[in-house]
Amino acid sequence: MGVIEQVKEVLKIEAQGILDLVDRVGPEFEDAVKMILRSKGRVILTGMGKSGLVGRKISATLNSTGTPSLFMHPAEAIHGDLGMVTRDDIVLAISNSGNTQEINKLLPIIKQMGAKIISFTGGLNSPMANVSDVIIDVGVEREACPMGLVPTTSTTATLAMGDALAVVLIKLRQFSQKDFKKFHPGGSLGERLTTKVKEVMFTDDHMPVVRAGSLVKDAIMEIDSKGIGATVVVDDEKRILGILTDGDLRRALIGQKDIHNMKVEDVMTVAPKSIDEDSSAAEALGIMELYGITHLIVSDRDAGLKGVLHLHDLLGREDFKLNGGHAVT
Amino acid sequence: MAATQLPKGLIVDLITPLSKDGGIDGKGLERHVKGLMPYVQAIFLAGPYMGEGTGLGPDQREELFHKTLLIVQSRLPVLVWISRATDEETETTLLLLKKRIEALKYAGPVLWVDTPLYYHSNRGLESHYKKISSLVEEPFVLINDPVLVRGKDQPLKRINIRTSILKGLASIESIKGLIFFGSLDRSYNYRKAVRSCIDFRIYDGDESRFLEHPSLNGVLSKGANLAPAAWKTITASSLNLNGNLEDYPDRMRQILDAGRYLNDLKNIYKGYGPGFFKQVLSKTGLIEHPASPDDSEKCAGDVERIIGLMEEHRNYTSFKTQS
Repeated sequence: MGVIEQVKEVLKIEAQGILDLVDRVGPEFEDAVKMILRSKGRVILTGMGKSGLVGRKISATLNSTGTPSLFMHPAEAIHGDLGMVTRDDIVLAISNSGNTQEINKLLPIIKQMGAKIISFTGGLNSPMANVSDVIIDVGVEREACPMGLVPTTSTTATLAMGDALAVVLIKLRQFSQKDFKKFHPGGSLGERLTTKVKEVMFTDDHMPVVRAGSLVKDAIMEIDSKGIGATVVVDDEKRILGILTDGDLRRALIGQKDIHNMKVEDVMTVAPKSIDEDSSAAEALGIMELYGITHLIVSDRDAGLKGVLHLHDLLGREDFKLNGGHAVT
Repeated sequence: MAATQLPKGLIVDLITPLSKDGGIDGKGLERHVKGLMPYVQAIFLAGPYMGEGTGLGPDQREELFHKTLLIVQSRLPVLVWISRATDEETETTLLLLKKRIEALKYAGPVLWVDTPLYYHSNRGLESHYKKISSLVEEPFVLINDPVLVRGKDQPLKRINIRTSILKGLASIESIKGLIFFGSLDRSYNYRKAVRSCIDFRIYDGDESRFLEHPSLNGVLSKGANLAPAAWKTITASSLNLNGNLEDYPDRMRQILDAGRYLNDLKNIYKGYGPGFFKQVLSKTGLIEHPASPDDSEKCAGDVERIIGLMEEHRNYTSFKTQS
């Protein structure tokens, strides 16, 4: 058999492993979901070897989608990590055969502690299944890998079932995109928010600035050329006096003022919100959310201008645009 | 029968050791079966291929069954092929073997293995099994084997059990499993059809398929006659029978070595029938006589190559420890 044929056969076997699960999803899945939704504790994943790796991924997915979760290595659990489990927790154990020795040593103790146990297994009559409160069947017909060198179809099927669990929980918790960002510290947003303000602010020639006494029409040109919808107004010593935003201009126009020949001091917002350049981007975002603003001035202790922040650059300009404050991806 | 009594793992497609007079070579059978028992989950007797079941007379089959039960002594499930040319002959064989169980007061697990399309069409199979299963207490395992059915003098139009028929058969209490030969697509359709029967097991009849993409219920292996320990290593790994897939230091090396060994053996014996296996086992001193010795130069050379491999991989064969 050629390489392409082999690849197709492996993919077919693995896909079939997942499709087979479709017919076997039953009320026990609903029981598992209800158990997790009612729980005051966390979902603790456990599994050995490749099942453990799958458990880590499921745990990460649950965490990212609003279900507090962590992974506990069965061998480490026996040597002390079991202390992390409380009676409010739910342990989700993964073993294709249900005969994994380390897990089967662990689960009776967990049961005794009062925590609930959900098992993902193909061994429906296994010791692991026997001690579980809910058994989710993730058994597959055959593995794709020759000679059982590594689990393949079985781990794929387990992973898919874990995703199914997370997705159902997302819907039942009415988990929104906003929540996802809150619980997604490892993603690009998380990375961005751990940076310092000075690393993401506009400075020097990229920073829109006009001096006090400038005409509004000149400020409009500055706003237009720098492209962030606002300009800072400073005095001769570059101390911050105010900010002139698109919103200020709009409100002035609504007041039917002839704004073009007005001075910026007449239209700007005085005493704008500001932040220190060594603050985190997350703090900046918090101030913006609190005051409902999209620009934040970065200043030193003497109100000297250091830079300007825009909401887009905190959240990821490529993913967001102003749309009444809602993210559009 | 409880689900746990159904074998899971390695089922050896046992060769039938015959003496010169056509009877069963009891001593050879005992040596061979005892050598296999530590490594296999079940023994399949009188199968159409290795067991030469299509050519065994009722008396030979009965003698083989009787002697094997005495050797196994309930320690392993024994599967025996009952199929004959007609419904009546099959039923007669079943009852004959049943009498052996009764005569021995044998209490160990026995499963009747039947290739229904060998003597019966798809039509009426369900009522056929309702009838014959009422004659015995032991469960049945079916075989779907299009090649065997096609090879008959007057093959049926349909050479596979129809999926809808299998669904009905699986719902019969005493039918517990299927040894499957055929395409992957058909195996998926069968699996889907019997999904509601939670204890129903489908075994790989094709050991080559199992080595490539192992079924998680087990395999019927002819190669296990020669290399039971290596087959045990691979089956245990594939089915995770030990319940622990952690990478102990040389686990991968052991599996790769065993797998390479089995593939090397397979590449040599793939063109041969049971007579070749018997020649090898006869040369190792395990059985007395190869029933139909092939004296060709190629065969003799291949027997020596097999024995050479077995000696090289002595860690994976029981023969040296048996002698």
